[in-house]
Amino acid sequence: MPLPVYYFISISAINILMSWALYLPYRVAHLHFLTIANMAISGYTAGWLVMSLHVPFWIALLIGFALGGVMGFLISFLIGDAPTFAVVIVGFTFIYITRTVIENTKAVGGTLGMFGLPSIGGNPVFHRWAILIILFAMLVIFGFLIHRFDHSRLGRAASTTFMDKDLASSLGIDIKKMGMLLQTASCIIAGGCGVLYGFIFKSFHLDFFTFHLVGIFMTIIFVGGYSTMWGSLLLAPILYGVPLLFPPAIASWRIVIYGVLLITVLVLKPEGFITRKFVHSIETVLSSKRKIRNM
Amino acid sequence: MAQNDKGPSSAPAPLLKVDGLSMSYGQIRALKDVSLVVHPGEIVVLIGANGAGKTSLLETILGIFPPTSGTIEFKGEPVGGVSADRNVRSGLCLVPEGRGVFASMSVHDNLLLGAHHNMKNVDKNLRRVFDWFPILEKRKKQIARTLSGGERQMLAIGRSLMSAPSLIMVDEPSIGLAPIVVNDIFTILKKLNQEGYAILLSEQNAYKALKCAHRGYVLETGAVTLSGTAEQLLQDPGVREAYLGV
Amino acid sequence: MQVFLAQVLNGLSLGSIYILLVTGFNLLLLVAMIIHFSYPQVVVFSMYIAWVAMKYTGGGPVIGVLAAVGAAILMNVFCAPLFQKVMKKRGEVDINSTMVLSMGIGMIITDVLSHSFNNGFPISFEGLLSGHETIFRLGLISLQSGQVAALGIGIVAVSGFFVLLYKTRAGRAFRAIAEDPNGAKLVGLPILRTSLAGYALTGLLGGVSAILLAMLFGSASPGLGEQVAHKVLAVSIIAGLGNLVGGLVVGLALGVLEALVQGYVSGSWSNSIAFVIMLVVILIRPKGLFGIKL
Repeated sequence: MPLPVYYFISISAINILMSWALYLPYRVAHLHFLTIANMAISGYTAGWLVMSLHVPFWIALLIGFALGGVMGFLISFLIGDAPTFAVVIVGFTFIYITRTVIENTKAVGGTLGMFGLPSIGGNPVFHRWAILIILFAMLVIFGFLIHRFDHSRLGRAASTTFMDKDLASSLGIDIKKMGMLLQTASCIIAGGCGVLYGFIFKSFHLDFFTFHLVGIFMTIIFVGGYSTMWGSLLLAPILYGVPLLFPPAIASWRIVIYGVLLITVLVLKPEGFITRKFVHSIETVLSSKRKIRNM
Repeated sequence: MAQNDKGPSSAPAPLLKVDGLSMSYGQIRALKDVSLVVHPGEIVVLIGANGAGKTSLLETILGIFPPTSGTIEFKGEPVGGVSADRNVRSGLCLVPEGRGVFASMSVHDNLLLGAHHNMKNVDKNLRRVFDWFPILEKRKKQIARTLSGGERQMLAIGRSLMSAPSLIMVDEPSIGLAPIVVNDIFTILKKLNQEGYAILLSEQNAYKALKCAHRGYVLETGAVTLSGTAEQLLQDPGVREAYLGV
Repeated sequence: MQVFLAQVLNGLSLGSIYILLVTGFNLLLLVAMIIHFSYPQVVVFSMYIAWVAMKYTGGGPVIGVLAAVGAAILMNVFCAPLFQKVMKKRGEVDINSTMVLSMGIGMIITDVLSHSFNNGFPISFEGLLSGHETIFRLGLISLQSGQVAALGIGIVAVSGFFVLLYKTRAGRAFRAIAEDPNGAKLVGLPILRTSLAGYALTGLLGGVSAILLAMLFGSASPGLGEQVAHKVLAVSIIAGLGNLVGGLVVGLALGVLEALVQGYVSGSWSNSIAFVIMLVVILIRPKGLFGIKL
């Protein structure tokens, strides 16, 4: 397949997955920027394992997931039920500390980064297909799990917590456990994404994991709609792909356009484009169609 | 501080005259053709249930909302549509419902805020407020958030006095206060009136309000349905049934 | 010993940058009730505008200051309604939306700067502004006029604004309106006039900060705002949001601490100190070392 298509699909998939990773904690109003640090840590670790210790890729990937999960889980003990501000700050802090540690660690390339990662299976074409298949599998698995979560008792509890933490507590919802669950899940996804992000380009560099990235994910979630998972799914490929259709002169203004979109949505339509009401009405139509067909 | 010590209702010109006032915000017609007067030295009460329009009326008089029709005259000058800060400067003030106290600022700063338009006699006025409310002097440096409900009400009234008003409008002073404290507040309002301040007061607690007022108006869904002296209203069977629980 | 003193001086200089920016941030919070996390980017934007003005009119620092102040005030006036719209959430402050709005504004500023000014290359204030002359040298220790100016103005600004906000009539009005705009209206405070004065005041500080930063750094780049913005956020959290005096102390202390670490520890560890301290503070004493003054 042509290289640009490969990059488009793979990057869009990462964007969707990371937006979902941020969507989950935001269900309880936590902006969990720790996930970016997870990406970096799992990614660099996996890269180093593959390059320096010749660990097979799929083991490194699993380690990436696990590392994310462990980190997310441990830290969620502290911030599972913290106020939104504290969660943001913790995320920022870890991003900085992670970047500083990586900068100063020669073994992972410091400020120069890690290049020339080996192709999976030794073959570039196989490598690309492997990446795409893994990403697709992640989309299906995590998408399914998130969908089930949203339509379960837990999902409703999360929505209640989002609206009013104290009310949720008084209804018997364990805020801390909810926060811990969502944060850990999001960090698992982020860990895997971090590994794959680097392997898409067969390199790891600090510039991959900056606040720039945070801005992109924020735009996808908030413009797409933070109250459902479909907004991110729809908007990630659009936001990434549409600028590519334009001549480079316009496409280079991508970030400004994202910023303007983000601000416009925040001010005019805070819930984003795909709102829960919209999704609900589509689900109603679909289920009524099913009823008619079954009659 | 007071600008007029004349007795109640015999003075020739009303201090406040509202004539045919209507006000809407958005789709809601909050006030319909309301007319009332307050003479110097009077305590006039607005009685009505929740949502009857009492707060809207007071805030429109103050200048928060522009009238859609009708006139408001304060000290003989038309003030319909004039901004609130100009009205406060001319001697009109409001003690808002929920006390209108700035919780993060000290008692002292809250009082000084009242004198924003009248810094000339601020020390004298402050002294008088402290004489009226010694508890405020005691808590001068405390943050308003730490005051009790009754103390906050006193702070709000004290703050309004700092602007040397001619007419003090008070919106539901008894809300959220224990009955004993409510009695204290009404006693204070009566004493202020004896000092010469005219008071326009809105209340759900009709009995206590009518007991200390000279005259009153009954407001229902934005319109005045009844008016008269306090005695007349206390005796009126409709008022007794709807607002006095008799 | 020389290294120590030299680094302390550098640290004071760095600290004065933090002070200027955190005070602007605190002012916006206290006077306009805006939590403007991307305020440092606005200041960097003002630096660029000053640079353009000075380059194309050939004028000196005065033109620069005027341009910077004008740019800062305009940005305030433009951003303030956005923040006010976004911040309200059922009576509470919606920190998440405010933060995301700030990120959006920061994104736009940084990217516009990299596109439209000098083709994204750093701009230099060499020849446009003085401030680099050494006025005192003793071995390794050197003191530049810009450093003295920045620290001096920083301290004066904090003291001045402190007096203004807490001891004057105007200051009381600012604080009241920031706490409760509707309540302030009911008390008869002039809202529009005071808000505009607030934007002008904070714009003034922002513009002056921009010029001082230009003198201190001698150059600016599009990424400068973001680098500094996070540090300033750390300072304000460690000190306590809205705490002017706290911002002064913590800003200076952090600057000196970072400079000392830079001088004595190899590697780029100084950047993380602020965030580690911020992390500890937020977990142990969330209201900041000196307390929130909202």
